[in-house]
Amino acid sequence: MGLYFLDFLVFVGIFGIVALSLNLEFGFAGLANFGKVAFFLIGAYTYALLSQIGIPFSICLIVGALISALFGLLVSLPTLRLRVDYLAISVLAFGEILRLIVKSEDFAGGDWGISVAPAITIAGASPYVGVLVNIGLVYFCLLICFVVAQLLANSPYGRVVRAIRDDEVAAEALGKDRAKYRAQIFMIGSAMAGLAGGLYVQYLHYVLPGMFMPMVTFTVWIMVLLGGPGNNWGVLLGAVLVELFKYGTNLAKPILPIDPINLQYILFGVLIILVLFYRPQGLLKESPIKTKALELVKYGKGVVNNKASK
Amino acid sequence: MLGAVGLTMTYGLSGFPNFAHAEFITLGAYIGYFVADQLGLGLPVAFIVAFLVSGIVAFLCYRGIFQPLAKRGATIIHLMVASIALGFILRHSIGAIWSWRPLYFTTSWPAFDLGPIRVTGLWLLLIFTAVTLAFVMHLILTRTKIGKAIRATSSNPELALASGINIDRVIWITWFVGGGLAAIAGIFRGADTQIWPMTGWDIILPMFAVVILGGIGNFYGAIAAAFIVGLAENIGVVALVALGLSTTYRMAIPFVILIITLIIKPQGLAMLFRRA
Repeated sequence: MGLYFLDFLVFVGIFGIVALSLNLEFGFAGLANFGKVAFFLIGAYTYALLSQIGIPFSICLIVGALISALFGLLVSLPTLRLRVDYLAISVLAFGEILRLIVKSEDFAGGDWGISVAPAITIAGASPYVGVLVNIGLVYFCLLICFVVAQLLANSPYGRVVRAIRDDEVAAEALGKDRAKYRAQIFMIGSAMAGLAGGLYVQYLHYVLPGMFMPMVTFTVWIMVLLGGPGNNWGVLLGAVLVELFKYGTNLAKPILPIDPINLQYILFGVLIILVLFYRPQGLLKESPIKTKALELVKYGKGVVNNKASK
Repeated sequence: MLGAVGLTMTYGLSGFPNFAHAEFITLGAYIGYFVADQLGLGLPVAFIVAFLVSGIVAFLCYRGIFQPLAKRGATIIHLMVASIALGFILRHSIGAIWSWRPLYFTTSWPAFDLGPIRVTGLWLLLIFTAVTLAFVMHLILTRTKIGKAIRATSSNPELALASGINIDRVIWITWFVGGGLAAIAGIFRGADTQIWPMTGWDIILPMFAVVILGGIGNFYGAIAAAFIVGLAENIGVVALVALGLSTTYRMAIPFVILIITLIIKPQGLAMLFRRA
């Protein structure tokens, strides 16, 4: 049971990273990435292939993230100036095609996949220690991603990105190139997803094409929508809740009348529609932007004087 | 092509890509199988029942989910996510009812040779049905009142509303017909290959390529684009074999067409059929 819980923590960490990356794209920049799994896959296979030829794990992870970012740029470029639905369709198609490619190519192991060495091995350690090491690694990466996401969101740069999301014409009129900002955010998001993909396969010790069904993308969307788009704490909460729900249905397997996999997906679908209907802003709302100028407008000049006198 | 026509019409009228369209196709295939094989009523009845059931499901989905969501001010992204969610509900409900094992139609089709090409009765029926339905749709769109209302709503909803067209009803009818056409497509697809809960999902991406190449919401564009994409896929398969690559990559051909369209001419072939 204890091991089960630690396992749960690892998955929350990994999918927390993916959810943060989707939150950057959807929550802050308003981009509909329906092919998140594609970049997860790129990171995973890059890690698997590089670690096979004996490259240290940290480099594998970083290279996986960089290649993901590169592909993110390539895929998003033709569609960034168009309406968001074009991006959604082309990225979704990209993910499906990547999955077919790794399935049919020998170098990627085809249907049977590749086995992957864990990132850190300690000779003679019990499974507990192995999982604990993984938790350390995953949460270290999660922390980095969280800090990056928070800094991006609450910087002048983040405000430009949100402005483009809310009113692209106004933002363009102020001289902000919307395609450039969107491409950058998409690259950063893809890099995070790639990183998570690498962590995922090194924890599971193997990689299979079947791990990258469109359902993965959708699960991450639920995390973001449920937790609160535009709120980094919210999406982490969403990741915890969704993973909890998954584990819950798996545990309840023996007492359910129908196949839990079917039930799980049906409930996910119902859940998302309910969230869209009754709480489109998610559990935690996007926090208002905090700037000096805004405080001045709200509280008058006192703010500045108080600060000056301190 | 049959599936893409329904998809392009609902996309054009409601303004968002309905990913659950794949499930209307799957549902049609299963209903067709249920009526034709499990009840033994034959294919003609199966077509009609599947058309009606899928059409009604599509209508209910729009009326029950997408329309209220749009009225609450949901963005296009929210509608897309809702359609994917709905797709999962339908697909896994189908999976729970009929299980995930693939099913096959038991009807056997006579096959005969036309010169060097081997043709089955199924293909002839498919071609015949597609051409007939395209012609009927053409007549409906150009000659009848509801057809004109559909075209009016598609090109300018506000003006259509101001001219006294009940645009809600127009959109409902379009969803019904779109779902019904998807069901017909599903039966053909199921008869040609197999039926399983992913039947619709397997062909939804080529269909999106057709829709975008044809111009969103453009009926004639979709028909022309369906021919182009179908032809390109088959030529592409020959080319892939000649190059020694796996034929799995045929999936990539519609995708390449999609990307090229988006780069060169995002409005698709629509400019060729401006009046449509």
